[in-house]
Formats: sequence, C-alpha cells, structure tokens
Amino acid sequence: MNEYAIMQRKKKIKFAIVSSISLFCFFLLWYVCTAVLHLKPEYILPSPVQVFKAFIVKLGAKAPDGATLFGHIAASLKVALSGYLLGAVIGVPLGIAMAWFHKVDLFMTPLFDLIRPVPTIAWIPLMILWFGIGLGAKAAIIFVSAFVPCVINAYSGIKQTKQVHLWVGQTFGASNREMLFTIAIPTAMPLIFTGLRISLGTAWMTLCAAEMLASNKGLGYMIQLNRTLARADLIIVGMLTIGCVGIILTGFLNMLEKKFVKGGRRG
Amino acid sequence: MKKKGKDKEAIVYATCAIASFFVFWWFITTFTAASKTTPGPWPVVQLLVRSFSEPIGKYTIVGHLMVSLRRVAVGFGVATLLGVIVGIAMGTSDWARAIIKPIFELLRPIPPIAWIPLVILFFGIGELPKYVITGIGAFTNVTLNAYTAAQNVDPELIGAAKMLGTDERGIFFRIILPSCTPQIFAGMQVALSTSWMAVLAAEMVGAQEGCGWMILRGNDTLNITLVMVGMIVVGVVGLLLATIMRKLEGRLCAWNRMDS
Repeated sequence: MNEYAIMQRKKKIKFAIVSSISLFCFFLLWYVCTAVLHLKPEYILPSPVQVFKAFIVKLGAKAPDGATLFGHIAASLKVALSGYLLGAVIGVPLGIAMAWFHKVDLFMTPLFDLIRPVPTIAWIPLMILWFGIGLGAKAAIIFVSAFVPCVINAYSGIKQTKQVHLWVGQTFGASNREMLFTIAIPTAMPLIFTGLRISLGTAWMTLCAAEMLASNKGLGYMIQLNRTLARADLIIVGMLTIGCVGIILTGFLNMLEKKFVKGGRRG
Repeated sequence: MKKKGKDKEAIVYATCAIASFFVFWWFITTFTAASKTTPGPWPVVQLLVRSFSEPIGKYTIVGHLMVSLRRVAVGFGVATLLGVIVGIAMGTSDWARAIIKPIFELLRPIPPIAWIPLVILFFGIGELPKYVITGIGAFTNVTLNAYTAAQNVDPELIGAAKMLGTDERGIFFRIILPSCTPQIFAGMQVALSTSWMAVLAAEMVGAQEGCGWMILRGNDTLNITLVMVGMIVVGVVGLLLATIMRKLEGRLCAWNRMDS
C-alpha cells in the first residue's frame, strides 16, 4: 500500500513537470514565432514579452483608451455585479416560487419560455434604447443574462425535492411554509449555486459584448478600442484580465457555496 | 380523466399568460410614453411577414438566417470534432492531460466574445473569423464535458472487457466512446447555444450580413421594429436548434434513458 502511494506520488510529480514543460513550450513557441521569426507583424501578434510590458505600463497609464487597467476592471465589475446581483435576487426567488406554487408555475412558465430562447446579446439594442448608454442599459443586459440560469436551476432544484421528505414533513404537521423553508430550499441549495455559477459566467461574457458595442470604459471597451488602434498587446492584456477576473469571481462564489451548502450536503 | 383536466388547466393558464404579455406590450406602446420609442406587436408582426419577401440589406430574412446558420454549423462542427478528440485524449491518457491541460486552463476562462477583437485583427472581417469565434464558443464546452466523461468511465466495465479479451481499440470504441456520449451531448447542447450567441456578437462587431448584423442595422438606423423582428427570429431558431439537438440525443442515447 505504502509503495503504491509512493508510486502515485512519483507519477504525480512526473506529470507536474511535464505540465510545466508544456506551458513553457507554449510561451517559447509564441516567443519564437514573434520575436525571433517575425511571422506576423508586431501589431497583430506581439511577443509575450511585449504583452507583459504592456501589462506593466497599463497598470499606471491611461493612454490610449482613457483609463488604467484597474479603472477598466472597476468599471466592468460595477456593471457586472449590479446586474448580476439583481438577476440573482429576482431570479432565484422566482424560480423557487414557480416550482413551489402550482398556479405560478402554470402562469409564469409559458412567459418565461417565450423570453428565454432570445440570446442576451440580441437584447442589447433594445436595452440601450430603453435605458440609455450608461450603467442602466448594461446592468439590464447582464440582468437578463444572469436571470435565466438562476430561474431554471432554482426551479429544477426545488422540483428535485423527494416526495417522501415532504410526506414526512406533513406527517409531523409542518405547514406549507415550513416545508418550503426547511425541506425544499435546503434540498435545492446545491443546484441554486450551480445556477449562480453558470449565470456568473454568462454575465461576465455578456458584459464583454455589451461593453464592446456601447461603452466608454471597461474591459470589453478596452479590447474593442485597441482593435481599432491595432494594439494587439493591449488586447491580449485585456483578454487575460477578463479571464483572471472571471476565475477570481468564480472562486469567490465557490467559497460562498462551501459556507452555505454545508448543512445541505448529503451522504 | 384527471390528467385531462390538468392539461386543460395548463392550456388555459398558458393562453392567459401569453395573451396578457401581448396585451401589456400593446398597452404600454399605445398609451404610455414608450410609444415614442418602442413599436407595438402589430408593426413587428407586419415587418416579420414582409421581411420574408423584401430584402433587408443584401438578403431577405431567410438569407440572413442561412448565413448565420452556416457560420454556426462550420464553427460548431469543427470545434465539436476537435473538442471530442482533445477531451477524450485528456481523459484517457495521463500524458495528453499533462501536456494539454495547463494550456487549456489558461485559455478556457476567456469568453469567446473577448476573442473577437484579436480574431478580427488576425483574420480580417471575412468568413474565417466568424468560424473561429463560433468554434471557440463550442470548443471549451465540448472539451470540458468529454474530458470529465472520459475520466469517469466505470473502471469495472473496462476491467471486464479486458478480462474477456477485448483489445485496446475495442475498449475505446465499445466502452469509452459510448459511455462518454451522453455527457458529450450535454456539452454540445450548451456549446450550440453559446455558438449561436457568439455568432450574433461576431456579426454585430464586423459583418455585412447575418442575423446579428440585421439587429445592429436596426439599432443603427433607429428601426426598432427590425431589432425586434431579429430578436424573434433568433429566438425561434435558437429554440429549434436546441430541440433538434435534444431529439438527436434521445435517438443516439436511448439506452441511457432506460436505467435512469
């Protein structure tokens, strides 16, 4: 057994080394293609060194797109979080209500099915028309994108509740409200969090689209503007930043999930 | 008998809901300040019907749809094929995982839409960048699902097959591939809707045809009726694509339904 564990560990280390080599090769290949061979002009494919330099400069400089990197991140986060929180705060309870109250289900589900298939990006012009070009429109677009997965997952989470558990509750004289709050919602918690995670991803992606089409600040705006300026180094900095912030947000949500779903974890 | 009553109730409620939606739409666009900016349901329906015969820009609405669908089909098709290969390779071979996974994890969090500027710089504004963008949208989803599926193949099945003398190829085609299929399809579902969304974004940023272009054209010329027609068409086609996908899955993975 012990020998087996050692073997496993050796294997793990070996493949960790292979992974680092692979990542290193990726950057080396990128570097060789750009800085050594000059396969593409610099403004289309900059070398990793240039991207890194652009990143350092961008931390402090406002040129050429009007804000520092942190300024863009802050602008994007403000929009994304306000839309996302609104979507979660309205979407999750609505999903729960749709699943728990039969009449609400019958009435809301067709309406929801009517709206749902329209991709969020198609809403952008309409939202700009209704809410102007400021925070309102972008938050509204993100709201739509976050709202849909929240509703779907909260709905199926509640529907997952075992009938037996509800019967037990009924036998012990629980009211409808008690059954909802002590049986159904805890059962639905893991799926609700799945919904929150999915909608965070879509919200973050939709944000990029919204900012590319109508904005004067934010990460999406930054990469779009730098395309017209042919500053690929800053585009790549922007893309990587979008990716990183996405990871951080998801990590934060996972932390929350661990905290809240503890009681509901089964097995 | 009871079921019939329930169906009836559902139909009544659904009709009420949809009717109230249209009445509400009609009401606010007739009697409130919204009438100045937002068209009511009737002009939208009229334009929708007309757009089948009258061209908007280069094509009629069917033409735009075909352009968008072709872009999705090519990007999605190629990316699915690649995604399944890469995902299963990562799930079955330690070497492939060690080599591919770090690079994949580095690029995965970047949403497909964030690739648009770079892809346009690289490939211009022809057809290729659209294929690439829809492809990126599909690739990450399919790869991730194929990867987790291939990792979670029941080892007992593989053991049993080995014991009965199946060779490596047989194990791959008879066990690993089939048991990954349901989850690959789940990934393809998500991937298809992401591709459909990505193509809209790509067409909004740089194109002269397609559904995304049509919606943005409506926006640029303050023709909100056209925007709404575009939204309806895109929504209906998206729904159709999802339904076809689900039907296909039902056919190919019928065996999976049995025991669940």
